[in-house]
Amino acid sequence: MKIGWKKIAVMAMAALATTTALAACSSGSSSSSSSNGKTTISILQGKVEVNKQLKQIATEYEKTHPNVKITVSSIGGGTEYNPVLKTRISSGNAPTIFSLAGPADAKQFSAQAADLSKTKVAKAALPGTASAVQIGSKTLGIPFNIEGYGFVYNKEVFQKAGIDPTSIKTYDDLVNAVNTLNDKKSELGIKGVFALPGKETWVLSDHLANLYLGQEFNGNAKKMYDSKSMKFTANEEMKQMIDLQNKFSIKPVMQMDYSQQVNQYFSQGKAAMIQQGDWIYPTVEQIDKNFAKNQIGMIPIPVKGQEDKLPVGTSLYWAVNKKKSTKEQKAATDFLAWLYTSEAGKKDVVNKLHFVPAYKGYDNFKMADPLSQVVFDYSQRKATTGWAFPAYTGTSWDPNTFQPNLQRYLAGKQSWDKTVKNSIDGWKTQQNK
Amino acid sequence: MKNRSLSFWLFVTPTLVALALVVFIPALMGIFYSFTNWDGLTYTTMLGFKNYITVFQDSGFLAALWFTVKFVVVTVILLNVIGLSLALLVTRKFKGNNLLRTVFFMPNLIGGLILGFIWQFIFTQVFDALGFSGWLTNQTTGFWGLVIVTLWQMSGYIMIIYIAYLQNIPTEVIEAAEIDGASPWQRFWNITFPMIAPAFTVSMFLTLSNGFKLYDPNLSLTNGGPYKSTEMLAMNIVNTAYSENDFARAEAKALVFFVIVGAISLLQVYYTRKREVDL
Repeated sequence: MKIGWKKIAVMAMAALATTTALAACSSGSSSSSSSNGKTTISILQGKVEVNKQLKQIATEYEKTHPNVKITVSSIGGGTEYNPVLKTRISSGNAPTIFSLAGPADAKQFSAQAADLSKTKVAKAALPGTASAVQIGSKTLGIPFNIEGYGFVYNKEVFQKAGIDPTSIKTYDDLVNAVNTLNDKKSELGIKGVFALPGKETWVLSDHLANLYLGQEFNGNAKKMYDSKSMKFTANEEMKQMIDLQNKFSIKPVMQMDYSQQVNQYFSQGKAAMIQQGDWIYPTVEQIDKNFAKNQIGMIPIPVKGQEDKLPVGTSLYWAVNKKKSTKEQKAATDFLAWLYTSEAGKKDVVNKLHFVPAYKGYDNFKMADPLSQVVFDYSQRKATTGWAFPAYTGTSWDPNTFQPNLQRYLAGKQSWDKTVKNSIDGWKTQQNK
Repeated sequence: MKNRSLSFWLFVTPTLVALALVVFIPALMGIFYSFTNWDGLTYTTMLGFKNYITVFQDSGFLAALWFTVKFVVVTVILLNVIGLSLALLVTRKFKGNNLLRTVFFMPNLIGGLILGFIWQFIFTQVFDALGFSGWLTNQTTGFWGLVIVTLWQMSGYIMIIYIAYLQNIPTEVIEAAEIDGASPWQRFWNITFPMIAPAFTVSMFLTLSNGFKLYDPNLSLTNGGPYKSTEMLAMNIVNTAYSENDFARAEAKALVFFVIVGAISLLQVYYTRKREVDL
């Protein structure tokens, strides 16, 4: 009798363990469909800094559209986001709306991303802003926003040194300004003119290189992505700009990372200017609200033939899952159209998400912060160049060839000629694979 | 075979099912995918051994392999020397030896990721202030940085293993040797050392396989930089999968890695086992 009980207990426990294990595997799918008349759309996106704001906007939308329920999840960074999206697609829990980072993503998720070219919101997008994620006649994504970068400068330091930042148009102007700033270093209370983060390979490989590499592809990522070769004719100018920043940067350059560049040096007035974009605003604001609001501005990096032009582009695009029901897809495109084209949505885009809009109909808007305002002004004036670097951010050439070679040059371990040659050769090998 | 009754299988099945679900089946799928062009979602063609051939032509992978091997050799030796020395120290009778055990073991309670960030601060800020500037900015200092963090983290753990074996040595044997007139060095080399041989088997295995598989301090301390010169095997594989989106090739690399680590660990266990003595 005793043994019998034991056996039953063991069996029960084993059965319980097995069923829970199996149940854990089978649950989780077949959600996000319509229940009691409501359509649920799920959003998975890669811009983690707007997670909270996006959730607020979703709640606001649900109030005016009682038949729709929106869930938002955000995962930061390209290397963390893609695996999660892939996992959700393979496990049958794919999101209705997801984000794409450029041509490589568009190609990879072309089986999931619906053609949005006929939608209202895609038609409202500024011309060319979605070209990176177009395949043939299909538009697989619409831009989140536009971003821009240049030299973010400290107004007070420039004023004290007697330099008008807006007068810096050419490379020679920049060199003069840098020399003046460097001579008055102690007087201005700065540790260096620049703060060049040698650890952050993307600062050189994405943003700086784009100015010189992008020229031959008209700043068009798609064009570069499809190109079998590159000439890199403007490489000598890029070398000049790296050398200038390296020479007048706070040392040691190879030890500096993004947070030191932005938080520790620039935000505390230790560097006169840094090569960064409008995305640093929230970080600077967290450290010194007053400084962020009143003391910073941005000028374009002077490039021969492209003077006073700001490189603006899009780092993320919204895509809609075409494997979902038509009803759910329509709800998704309706939401995106509401967000970017309705009066209430536009206000949220500018004031809550702090986006510089990539859409028509924002002429009278004022951006939420001074850096975004600079990007917006340049884009309104059409004094912009494009972003070609999303063409390579998802490929193996960037992390395996371009970035290590640039870093080797920066550390003084390799000549510039070799750096350029390795980069060109590597691109050719990859694109002809 | 008598005990293979119903209850035997009832106890084993849940574990077996769980293992199959999270280890065996994924491993088999991984082996299969390594022969395709899988991108994490779908595959379109079978590539045969092409992925494996490219693994051995991949200069990044070979550099990471060489860097890892050097790292393993250095850390295995130093960890065991330091671990054993600490164990010998704290098994002596003096006031505060229990406190010291706790102190030496404590770094092991901190996760590798956090430890990496703490040491990054020490190497870049504190070392800078002391006049050793430029740490972690080239391969040599990056390598020694990783070694130091690993020693800091693992020595205490290895020490605990040695302590367990040291305390198991019967005092009669030591006393007998003492009466026979053996010097302290002779006592250590001829009595203690052979008696703790099983501890070597365990510690060598742990340090060896942990060294090969090291990932989190690598990620938080150097992230493979500068110019990929401090990238270890595990990180190279993760980057191939997640930043280059080449899951199939990463899968092939992971299998090569698995075979290397497995073969070396088995050989090591086989040889150190042979040296163990039974009382």
